Amino acid sequence: MFNVNFTGEFVAFFIFSVLIISGAVLMVSFTKVVHMVVSLAAVFIGIAGMFVLLQAEFLAFVQVLIYAGAVSILMIFGIMMTKHQDAEADRSRPLHETLTAIGALALFGILFYAIRQSEFPEPEQPLSQATDNTMEIGKLLFTNYVVPFELVSVLLTVAFIGAIVLAKKEAD
Amino acid sequence: MLSSYLTMAAILFCIGLYGALVKRNAVIILLSIELMLNAVNLNLVAFSKYGVVPSLTGQMFTLFSIAVAAAEAAVGIAVLIALFRARGTVNVDEYDEMRR
Amino acid sequence: MDTSFSQVAWLIPLFPFVAFLLLLAFGRGQRTLGVLLGSISSFAGLVLSILVLIEHMSDGTKYYQYSFKWLDFDGLTMNAGYEVTNLTALMLVVVTLVSFLVNVYSAGYMKGDERISVFYSYVALFSFSMLGLVLADNMLTLYIFWELVGVCSFLLVGFWFSKPEAKAAAKKAFIVTRIGDAGLLLGILLLYWYMPDHALDFVHIGNVFDGQTGIIAASVTTWIAILIFVGAVGKSGQFPLHVWLPDAMEGPTPISALIHAATMVAAGVYLVARTFDIFQASQTAMDVVAYIGGFTAIFAATIGVAQNDIKRILAYSTVSQLGYMMMALGLGSMTGGIFHLFTHAFFKALLFLGAGSVIHAVHTQNIQEMGGLSAKMKITTWTFGIGTLALSGIPPFSGFWSKDMILNTALHEKPVLFAVGVAAAFFTAFYMSRLFFLVFMGKPKGEQHAHESPASMTIPLIILAVLAAASGFIQTPWNNTLGTWLTDGAEKEHGGAGIVMVISAAVGLLGLYLGWLVFVKGTIARDAISSRAPWLVRLLERKYYMDEIYEALLVRPLRGLGYLLNAIDEYIVDGLVQLVSGTAVWFGRGGTRVQNGQIQTYGVVTVLGLIVLLVALVGRRFW
Repeated sequence: MFNVNFTGEFVAFFIFSVLIISGAVLMVSFTKVVHMVVSLAAVFIGIAGMFVLLQAEFLAFVQVLIYAGAVSILMIFGIMMTKHQDAEADRSRPLHETLTAIGALALFGILFYAIRQSEFPEPEQPLSQATDNTMEIGKLLFTNYVVPFELVSVLLTVAFIGAIVLAKKEAD
Repeated sequence: MLSSYLTMAAILFCIGLYGALVKRNAVIILLSIELMLNAVNLNLVAFSKYGVVPSLTGQMFTLFSIAVAAAEAAVGIAVLIALFRARGTVNVDEYDEMRR
Repeated sequence: MDTSFSQVAWLIPLFPFVAFLLLLAFGRGQRTLGVLLGSISSFAGLVLSILVLIEHMSDGTKYYQYSFKWLDFDGLTMNAGYEVTNLTALMLVVVTLVSFLVNVYSAGYMKGDERISVFYSYVALFSFSMLGLVLADNMLTLYIFWELVGVCSFLLVGFWFSKPEAKAAAKKAFIVTRIGDAGLLLGILLLYWYMPDHALDFVHIGNVFDGQTGIIAASVTTWIAILIFVGAVGKSGQFPLHVWLPDAMEGPTPISALIHAATMVAAGVYLVARTFDIFQASQTAMDVVAYIGGFTAIFAATIGVAQNDIKRILAYSTVSQLGYMMMALGLGSMTGGIFHLFTHAFFKALLFLGAGSVIHAVHTQNIQEMGGLSAKMKITTWTFGIGTLALSGIPPFSGFWSKDMILNTALHEKPVLFAVGVAAAFFTAFYMSRLFFLVFMGKPKGEQHAHESPASMTIPLIILAVLAAASGFIQTPWNNTLGTWLTDGAEKEHGGAGIVMVISAAVGLLGLYLGWLVFVKGTIARDAISSRAPWLVRLLERKYYMDEIYEALLVRPLRGLGYLLNAIDEYIVDGLVQLVSGTAVWFGRGGTRVQNGQIQTYGVVTVLGLIVLLVALVGRRFW
């Protein structure tokens, strides 16, 4: 089952997965909020690398741009605008944490079991490498997915206006 | 190769879940939720290449998902700031209005 | 006579009842309404009662009874109704007359009290209950009114409930008479059980017991009679249940007059007279009644000698005189008992109202602090003096004739009781002279601004004085009017025994003379007895330690039992209850811990639930 060929893709996957997992674990285990955000940025970049491996170059670009860039920065702004005890865990909740760990591990166990048990047939025809990925997505966006695309633009507008209204000081 | 990506996504999802449920700081909880969303995105993209019928639809889905996640992050942070202004804290265990 | 007054006799108790209802509805804040309604309603009752009595005096209508079906269960029918006999007619007049005079008198006595209309409504209810009791034609109806009388006395004795003594006295009166009531209830149940057809009306009772036909076994008859007598003992304050009566003096004085003369305590004597047929069927019961009555008469009279509270002396005097009545009934002379009840009602009401007038004037009840009131209170002094003479049995006042009749009967039936009666008569005369001379003669003591009471108080006194002086002449050794009228001449006559009259009068005069010697002339020192036998005086002052004996014998053990039961209740029963409720509370606490408002806790629970669900779904493969 683990007889994988040491292809270039596998090596790259291995490197990225190490980056992602270590970033995620560090994010959970760090105590300072800024460190957490930085490790999370590493995770985002790792995922962008995986997108590249999966021949989704445009998505990888978007991932870096939006997640590693915008969202991380947004989070840092959020951190700066609120007050934090640097050292968290002033009150530990051992029962709560244990139960959550058990739950998360059990969920992973079930998922892993399901993944191992499933048969994934080989794709009938691989995704064509020839065409430009970004071009293809652009075409799709403005043909098949034009309505969702426009709706997303509305959603984003509403979200940003809402965010401004919410975050605005009420006193003025 | 597909199962490796799926396993990777599962790991990421579970770590995100753990973080979302254990961390007190609301910002970190938001970050953990982003982590879970990313795990889902990874699944979608992996299926778009290695699925039975490979197509760009998975990538399109991911694209929308990212857009929604960005909106969620923005609104989430705004709500958080408003809450912080009202309650003076970002610790979620002090937000217990649901009990009252 | 087509429609007789007896047929509308049911109106008599209705007058005060209507007054009670009106006062209950509109009395709040009214000051004169109570006086008006109370006096008018009792006067109406009095007029009707007198008409009924006149009608019964003439030969035409002897008897009227009306009853209707009240309750009808399966195989059990209860009737309610009223009955007018000669005895009833006489009692109606006594009750309404005293009640009317008390109503008038209270207008003056209770003038300053802010709850005067409440007082009048209670008095009206009291009169209603007593009149209902008198008119009742069967034991059950009688028992209902009997209890009502008890409730009213409770309300009125405790009328000044802010005084702790009044509160305690009211409770005592209620609880002690309740013991008697329980006996009466048992007696009624026994009677109901053994009577043919379960009839409880007095006509049937009379028929069954009068003939001595042996329908009911002799032992059962004795038991029924004694149980009924227990009820009478409680209400009429006979030994050993007399303890509540002196304490009942905490109530307003007009109420004492009402209780002692016409209503509450007369109920017991009336009950025995009403069920006299049952008693006559059992010689044992008669003896019990006679001896208890005789013992009470001498027992209470001796206590009366040593008391200092004007109302308490009169209270013990009442107990003693009631003993006389019971003794007369027990000796088979219903005429004597009722005759004494009749005369006693007038002079005892007179004495109490006079005492009330004195208290009203000097604001104390201790006779040692009074003196020389005769100069300032002419009417009260004269009327009180007549009452004293009547009670002491000095001819020709009413008390002499009734007491004479009882003593005469005793001499013929049981000479021992004759001696007891004579001794009691002596003590009665002595303590009455002591009371009279200490209060009205001698020098005034302390700063007293005594003044004569208003007319609304003195007029009843004068009326009662006239009655107390003259009412004895309806039954003299030479003139057996009352006896013939009451009992249809069935009762054995004892004829006039001159020796009894002489002894009775002599003893009364001796008592008065001795009192005069001690308290006015001072020939005999006041502490002649107390210096030689202080224990005797203390014994009498402490009322033979009856209260203490009850406290030690009954109250303490009962209280101990109460504590024990309370402990059982508190620790065992409550423990069980608290275990149950504690479990529920514990579950509830657990529930609130889960429901803590923490979103993350909810999240964890959701995840765990999801896993359980997945395991349950997926895991089915493996088993």
